[in-house]
Formats: sequence, structure tokens, C-alpha cells
Amino acid sequence: MTSEEPALQHVQADLEPGRLIPVDYRPDKMRIEAITVETPDVKTFRLTFCDAQKAGQFAFLPGQFGLYSVFGAGEATFCIASSPTRKGYIECSVKSAGKVTGELHQCEVGDTIGFRGPYGNSFPIDRMKGKNLLFIGGGIGLAPLRSVIGNCLDWRDQFGEVFILYGARSVDDLVYKEELETWRNRTDVRTLFTVDPGGETPDWDGQVGFVPTVLEEAAPNPENTIVLTCGPPIMIKFVLNSLTKLGFSLDAAYTTLENRMKCGVGKCGRCNVGNVYVCKDGPVFRCDQLQALPQEF
Amino acid sequence: MNDVSETKLYRLEADWLDAALGALERDGVEVLAPVKDEDGSVNLAPVTASSEVATDYLNALIPLKSVFMPRTEVLIEYERAGVGDVEVLPGAAPAGQRVVLGCRPCDARALVMLDSVFNWDYEDVPYRARRDSTTVVSWACMDPGPHCFCTSVGGSPHSAEGSDAVVYLAGSGPALLQVVTAKGAAFVESLGDRAQPAADGTALPEPPELETKFDTGEIKTWLDENFESELWEEVSLRCLGCGACSFLCPTCHCFDIVDESTWKHGERRRNWDSCAFCQFTQHASGHNPRPNQTTRCRQRVMHKFKYFPDRFEQVACVGCGRCAQNCGVGQNLVSILSRIQSEEKP
Repeated sequence: MTSEEPALQHVQADLEPGRLIPVDYRPDKMRIEAITVETPDVKTFRLTFCDAQKAGQFAFLPGQFGLYSVFGAGEATFCIASSPTRKGYIECSVKSAGKVTGELHQCEVGDTIGFRGPYGNSFPIDRMKGKNLLFIGGGIGLAPLRSVIGNCLDWRDQFGEVFILYGARSVDDLVYKEELETWRNRTDVRTLFTVDPGGETPDWDGQVGFVPTVLEEAAPNPENTIVLTCGPPIMIKFVLNSLTKLGFSLDAAYTTLENRMKCGVGKCGRCNVGNVYVCKDGPVFRCDQLQALPQEF
Repeated sequence: MNDVSETKLYRLEADWLDAALGALERDGVEVLAPVKDEDGSVNLAPVTASSEVATDYLNALIPLKSVFMPRTEVLIEYERAGVGDVEVLPGAAPAGQRVVLGCRPCDARALVMLDSVFNWDYEDVPYRARRDSTTVVSWACMDPGPHCFCTSVGGSPHSAEGSDAVVYLAGSGPALLQVVTAKGAAFVESLGDRAQPAADGTALPEPPELETKFDTGEIKTWLDENFESELWEEVSLRCLGCGACSFLCPTCHCFDIVDESTWKHGERRRNWDSCAFCQFTQHASGHNPRPNQTTRCRQRVMHKFKYFPDRFEQVACVGCGRCAQNCGVGQNLVSILSRIQSEEKP
């Protein structure tokens, strides 16, 4: 596999050389339309813009992120977890971990939160067209993949075989259980779901084992395949090893980084890995390019 | 900034400062000038009379960046409007017209670097508003201090980069003014007859000599290859992570965004932050890409002398020396950089 598309697409719509996009850090208001409890500590929020004009203009690509704010608690960064092909709303999946995410988990349907975005680049949909797709997700790392999986399944005839490998620590920790079921029931999608040893329940009918191990056992064919992976850093590390063992070239594999951010637009100075800014150069990176960076993420 | 095509020099009468302050006050322009505090430190502060202005000083303690990127500023405000809803209000109104009269050329030069960041594809609206409404008049440096190293990072005690005009003071007598931009020219106009075009052949004074202490090109060559060097651990041993060096650095621009609120009313504020702080990059999960002071010190040096040049083709340091002068444990950027250079050129 050669890397015919070295630069990832920046949709930022409007990111043209010489044209500045003004940022005044003022969020748009969004209304929580629905809340899905995914796991004991992960909820998915479906959001719509309060302003009709904004709702009509808003567009994003899979992989892009936003800064979501609970007024009074602050802003936090999450990817957009819904597919851009599903218009009229966005979804984000949030693990309750800190101040903002904790407050977000207290919110109810009908509450108003803030949103800035979309920011960052996206998964290489154009390069993926006509190729087989291998998605490898771990834990809540399925969130950014869910956006691009949804996009690809809505445009199913533009891609080759689709294989989704997803794992979590335990059955309880699997997110998007309804969608996992939908994907599993499709005849044009191969799925493999796994939980870490000890995380299974008596009625669990999926795999038991760590994602990289299950990947090696499944031994997908690297030919004409693009890999998209996202999950905990330790999983990514071993998944990349396994992919290499299986004969995949890392220039056909992509992942997305989620460093701590404040501004989202390359100014606040904290999301950089070496001279690369996750907010502006990412969050999607080709894995061979990621390996060339200082290992500080 | 529209650069003025040719260097225009003006001779300022001895009482030019009074004339400037009077004219600017009449026009409703706020003037920020060096003022000596009770503890002897000098800072840029609003003035209305020339007697308040300190003309004989090395540099302000708090750098010029604070005029454009305050230590804390309100980005947005909001009011609770019923259950679960808020009304988002605009942030603070942009600053009115201001003239900074008497910053040092190194601090003005730092604005060129800040401009690169704050206009990097996305234009930071609050920063840009302050830049647009502020004229920067530097006072050329006649007597650099022991920690100064502007000539090592591409600057000069008389650098005009980032300034709209540069004034060359000579005691309390007449001074020379160099117009750099259209804003600088407008400032000269406000001086009326206290500024006259300098006689033909008038030359700018020679800048004072300042020994070059290292070569940023050679430093970058070393940094390109030595992310994993043991040197980082050694040079960071003393660092307390207090952040004084970044707060006092005229080019450090990292910030935090936090909400401060009561039940009904809240503000989203932008505050200075520092890569030296242990929670700067820490994820909510507890994972921290820069988990110790070694990695944080490395980031600071790398950012200024490698990452920033990679991105913007300039080092993010103007050689003001504040970091070395104010470090509580005697950490010294110049000595670290000299050390790196000696590694590069054994």
C-alpha cells in the first residue's frame, strides 16, 4: 500500500491560505434532546442547535471535535460521535471523569449547553473509498470511530469489506450496545466484539481476550485495506504491533489523539506532541506519522 | 501594520513627553508608560503626567504581552435564564485607543511572535482588537542589563520589529524618533510642533554592544536530534515548576479557559497558564503526557527553539533575560542554551 494521500483533509471548511477565521470563544447554545446511558460512567448526549440559522449552516466531517461547555463548570473537548450523514443533530459520548464531564452527567433532557466547533481534521473518507475497512476500537475510543462507521455504512456501496473489531474491559463497559447489535445483524459487515479476560458475563457470546490478541487471531487480510483505530494509548500501541505482524503497513492505518485542549484552535499551547498540534494538525493522524513523533502522548 | 517605506526620523523637543500626554489625553487615548512601583520595580501603567513616567529603567517586570493578553480576561458572560437554560452575553468591550509609550524593543519584538500564534489560521478576536487599538512606541535600549541577550536571538537593543515607533532618549534633552508604521506616523502627528523632521543626514545612534552568547541555528540542530537526551533531566533538577519564567516571558502565550460562576451569573475567563505546571497537560483520566518536570522543562526549551521555528520560522525568545533574573532557584535559560551549544560543538 502506498500512501497516495499524504495530507489529511482539513475541512475546515474555510481553512484557506490567507483567510483568517475569527474566534471569539463564544459558544453556540445547544439543547440536549436525548441522553443514552451507555455504561455505568458513559452517557451519549444528542444535541441540537438552539439557533435555527446555525443549525442550518452547521457541517462537519467524521473525526472532527468540538469544545462542549456546561455553563458554570467550563469547557471540555470531545469528538463528534454521530455520523455527518445524519443531519440535524450531533452526538457526543462522555465518560464522567472530571469537573465538566461530571456536571454534564448531571444534565437532563431540555438543558442547554455550549458548543464550539467543529475543529480539526477528519478521517480520510476519500482515500477510504473503494477500499476494505478495518475498524479497531477500545472502550470509549469507539466514539470517533462510530462517526466514521456510520458515515461509511450510510454510503455502504462506496467501500469494500467492512470489519469492526471492538473491545472493552467488561460487558458493562461496551458502549453503543444497540448499534453493536445492528452492526452484527448486517450481512455486509463483519463484527468481532470482545471483553478483557474476567470482564465476561455468563451470557456473553462474544470473544474474551484483549483487542490486539483477538485481532491477531482474526488475522484480517491487509490487502487493499485501510485501518482506523482508536482506544486507550496502551491498546493503540499493541494494536500497531499486531498490525505490523499481520503485514499491514502503518501508512494505511489512522488513529485519533485526544490530548487536553483549551482553545481548540492552536493558541493555548497544551495539546502539542513535538511540533504537531493535535487541535490543528489532528486529531486524526496516520500511524506511521504518529510513530515518527516524540513519544509524548 | 502598514510599514512605512522609508525610515522617517523626527527630532523631539525636550518637552515632547508632556506634549504627547496632553494631546493624547485630549483625544481620549489612554497612555501606558513605565511607572516605578514602591518596591522599585517598573511596570507599564496608565499615566497622565510626565512626572509619573520612569525614563531610566532596564525593563518592566511584567512584559508588554499583558497589554494585549491580560493575565485574566472575561471571554464571555452568562446569566441563568430559567431551569437548565442560560443567556450568553458578549465578553468585555474591546479596549479603546491606547498608546504604549516606553516599552523596550525586546518586548515589542515579542509581539511579532504573538501575532504569529494569535493569527494562525484562526484570528483570536480579543487579542486582535487590542492589537488594532494600540500603538506601540518603544524606547531604544541604551544600557542593556546583565541578563540581556537579545543579540543572541536575532534582536538588537535598537530593534524596531513590532514597534510602531522607536524613541531614542538622550537624558531629559531632545530625543530622536523613528517612525516604523502608519500608527507610528499618527503618533508623531499628535506631537504637533514638538516633533520636527530630523535634519538631512541625521543618523540613528549605534546600538550598545551586547555579546552574543549562543547560536540559535546550532541549538536547533541539536534539539532536532535530542528529544531523548539525558541533559534534560540534568537541567531540570532544580526546577520547582513555579511558572515564573513563563508568566514573565514576553512571548509565552499559553492560557487556560475556566468558568467562574455563582448560581445565576457566570464568566468564562482566559487566564495565563504555564507548561511548567504539573496539571497543564493532564487528562481527566489521570494520564499525563508530560508527567514530570524533566518533560515539562524540555517542552519549554523545545517550544521556543525548535517547535516555534519549525512552525513560524522564528525563535520564540527575545532575550529579555527576565526568566533568568527572576528564577527562584537560579535556573538560567542562557546557561542551558550555552550548554546545549557546547554539546553540539564539542
